[in-house]
This record gives sequence, structure tokens and C-alpha cells, in this order.
Amino acid sequence: MTSEHTTASPARDQFATPIVVSLLAGCAVAILLGVYGKLHHPTGFSIDIAGFSSPLYAKAWLTTAALVFAAIQLATAYRMYRPGAAAWLAGLHRWSGRIAIVLTVPVIIHCIYALGFQSYSLRVLVHSVLGCLFYGAFVAKMLSLGLANRSTMPRWLMPVLGGAVLLSLIGLWATSALWLFTTKGLHS
Amino acid sequence: MARSGPLYTLGAVAALAAILLTVDLRISSAPSNAASPATTASPVGTASPVGTPSPSTSPAQVASAPQHALFAGRSSGDEFTVAIAINGRKAAADLNAGLPSQASLTGSVSGGQVKLTGGNGVGLTGAVSAAAVFGTITAFGRAFPFSAEPAVVQAVYAGRSSGNEVTLAVDTEGNKAVAYVCNGKNIEAWLQGSVSGNQVTLTGKKGATLTGTLSGLDLFGTVTPRTGQTFPFAAALSPHPAGVYQARIEVNGLATRIGWAVLPDGTQIGVAVEGTAELPAPPLDLSDNGFSIDGASFTAAPVAGQDVVVSP
Repeated sequence: MTSEHTTASPARDQFATPIVVSLLAGCAVAILLGVYGKLHHPTGFSIDIAGFSSPLYAKAWLTTAALVFAAIQLATAYRMYRPGAAAWLAGLHRWSGRIAIVLTVPVIIHCIYALGFQSYSLRVLVHSVLGCLFYGAFVAKMLSLGLANRSTMPRWLMPVLGGAVLLSLIGLWATSALWLFTTKGLHS
Repeated sequence: MARSGPLYTLGAVAALAAILLTVDLRISSAPSNAASPATTASPVGTASPVGTPSPSTSPAQVASAPQHALFAGRSSGDEFTVAIAINGRKAAADLNAGLPSQASLTGSVSGGQVKLTGGNGVGLTGAVSAAAVFGTITAFGRAFPFSAEPAVVQAVYAGRSSGNEVTLAVDTEGNKAVAYVCNGKNIEAWLQGSVSGNQVTLTGKKGATLTGTLSGLDLFGTVTPRTGQTFPFAAALSPHPAGVYQARIEVNGLATRIGWAVLPDGTQIGVAVEGTAELPAPPLDLSDNGFSIDGASFTAAPVAGQDVVVSP
């Protein structure tokens, strides 16, 4: 801070620690989910969500709804950083994200509690891995936003973490809901 | 510079997940240990709590008795393991002090006292209560105090209904029992209940019931896989591979539960409930309990009488 030539590196350290912590926490969550899903013996059942033709379709439609809100995320994510962006864009981004993630919670609980981490086909393996990545990336993004200084954090951080959340959700939906709708129809 | 909003979001998501998981754990506190393909290896894998029931005391001796009890224990100096079967006023015991020195004793129970004798001057006397047998083993010209506790013995009764409408296997373990009844096509029921004296009483979902009487080496009774369908049945005490086998897997994205009732000759009748559809079960390889669906391999687990097969 005192001499001219050292300012660059200490300034970076201000955001490095919270971001490293956030990323490691995200990794830990992803690994924990996978390990729990693998170790916990699948029960084959879980609490049902009322109003759907079967628990499976409840999960498929909840994931689809989450994907719709995730599309809003994508549409608002870069617009809200533009100069002169309307204030409600940030609010819309936050709330669409909150709704999307809440919609996925009953699904993942059913997944890891009733079915577990499975690998008996490529679709199932990809789905299991993406499920862990999705929540890991979500935790890393939320912690980064909460702990790090937003004005000095690397510009790539939010696009990368947000992109990881969005892409893993798209992959999750494609390997579950889309697969179900195309092979078994829109309801049971 | 830190913001609390994202942390609140994170906390709310974690809290919601924790609530849902807690509810799940509550409604299924037991089934998670009901069937674990990875750990359960054999239908007779569940041993007595005492740990060393004599292998020569077969379930047949015990299960055949209208009023029966089995105790297992050891002498205080650990010289002997002892298994005592009580059958009304008759009793028998096996003593084991290592492979070369085994002894079988027979005798009677009178007024809470058991008195057994065997060859070579070996004897056993003891006081019998519901909770334990305490007494003395006499052998090699010495006296060895011993104690034995009630042992849980697993036994399989397998058979068919009188008109061969359904096949069933009942697994009793101590005073608990489970059964699987099915016709291999579209009738199936999981049942759970108790053994009291010689009476077996089991219930399941959708009005399923099974009541039976243990008589000799057989179990006779009636079974109702679902409301309105009642069949008389006969089942016999059966050795491996007879038993109840179960697998819970995912097939085509649908939570699937498969049950097999296996007869002692290896005949197996099973039904897979895929989502809500009932289908014939895939053949079960009784050498390793493996089976395959659409080219994918799975493992079924033998179900014991104390397992939970009907979720509360």
C-alpha cells in the first residue's frame, strides 16, 4: 500500500480469500451430496407433492418450472449490469432465482433420498453428477455474492458460476424431465 | 462490503431441504435398514443377539413347537457355548467347546427348572425364565456356571395357496415375521406382523392380511393379498434358497419395487411394481441374488422377519 509497485497484488487479495472459500464450499457441497446419495440406501419413496399424477411427474414438472424461471435468470443476468438498467431488473433476477431454486429443493430431496446417486446408465450417471454440480455451483455463487466485494470481484466470476448453475439445470432437465416427457408422455 | 441477501437465500434453501429430509426420515425411519443389497448376504445372515447359537440347533426344532423358546449363551469362563431349545415340557441343548467336543443333551422342564443329560456324564441344570436361563453345566467331572439369553432364530416357511392362485414365503425371526405373496402377474402383497405362540398374524396395505398357525414343520392359514381375495394356504419350513427377496430400484425413471417368493426347490414367483404398474419379476439368480433389467444388473436382498417391508 505504501509503495507504488506493490499495490497490485494486495488489492487482489481482498477478494481472493472469500472467493476461494466460496468455491471450496461449493465443491464440498457437491461432493457431500454425491457421497450421501451413494451411501444412503434408496428407499424408493419420499413425501409426495399433491396435485400431480405421480411423484415422478411432480418432479418433472417442478424441474420444468424451475427451468422457466432459470430462463428469466439468463435474460436478466447481463441486462441488469448495463449502465442505466432499470432497478426492477435486479429484483426480478433475484426473485426468479429464488423461486427456481426453491422449486428444485423437493426434487433433489426425493432424488437423493428415494433414488440416490446411481450410475446404471449414461443418462442416470450424467443426471446424478449434474445434480451435485448444480447445488455446488449454486452454493459457490451465493457465498461469493454474499462474502466477496462485488465491485472488485473478477468480472468473469458471476458469469462462470451463474452459467454453471444454468447449464447444469438445463442438463438435469434434459436427462430427466425431457427424457420422461418424450418417452412416457406428459402425464402418467 | 459483504451482503446478507444471498446468504439468506442460501440459508432458506438449506432450511427447506432440511425440513423435507427430516419429514422423509420420520416417515421412513425403519425402511432404510429393511433391505440393503450391499450388506445382506444370505437369508440366514441375521444371527442371534448372543452371537454364538449352536449351528446344530436348526430352526426346525424350535419353530415346530407350539410353545417354544430358544436360548443361547456361554459358560462364565467361556469354556462352552450353549444353545437350549424348550418345547413345552421337553427340552434339548447343544454344548460346544470347540470342534472335537460337542454334546447333545435332552431332558425336561418342570416348574421353571430344566434338567438335561447327555453321554459321558455331561449334564445341565438351570432355572428358566422368559428372560434367561441360568444354571450349571457338568462335564469332564467339573461344574461350569452358565447363562443363556433368548435367541432370535430365523425360519422360512414357503408354499402355495390351495388352488395354486398365489405363492408365498413367510420369514419369521423371533416374534416378528414378514411375508411376500404374489401370483407372478398382477397380484402381490407385502405383509408384516408378529408371531405369538404358534399364531402368525400379518397385515399389509390395501386390506392385505395373513393369519396362520405353526403346526409341526408347517404353517397353515389363509392369506388375503387384497380385499376380497382370500386363499387358504399351506407352507412348509424350508431351507435356502427358500425365502422372501426384495429389490428397490429405478426402472425407466420409475421407482420400482420387486418381490420374489422363492420355494426350496428354487422355484421363484415374483412381481415388479414399476410406478403403479404390476409386471412379472425378472428371474433371480439365486447364487448371487442378482438379476437384470434391460441389460442393467441389480442385486436383490433377502428379507428377514425383523425387517420392515410395509411402510407405516
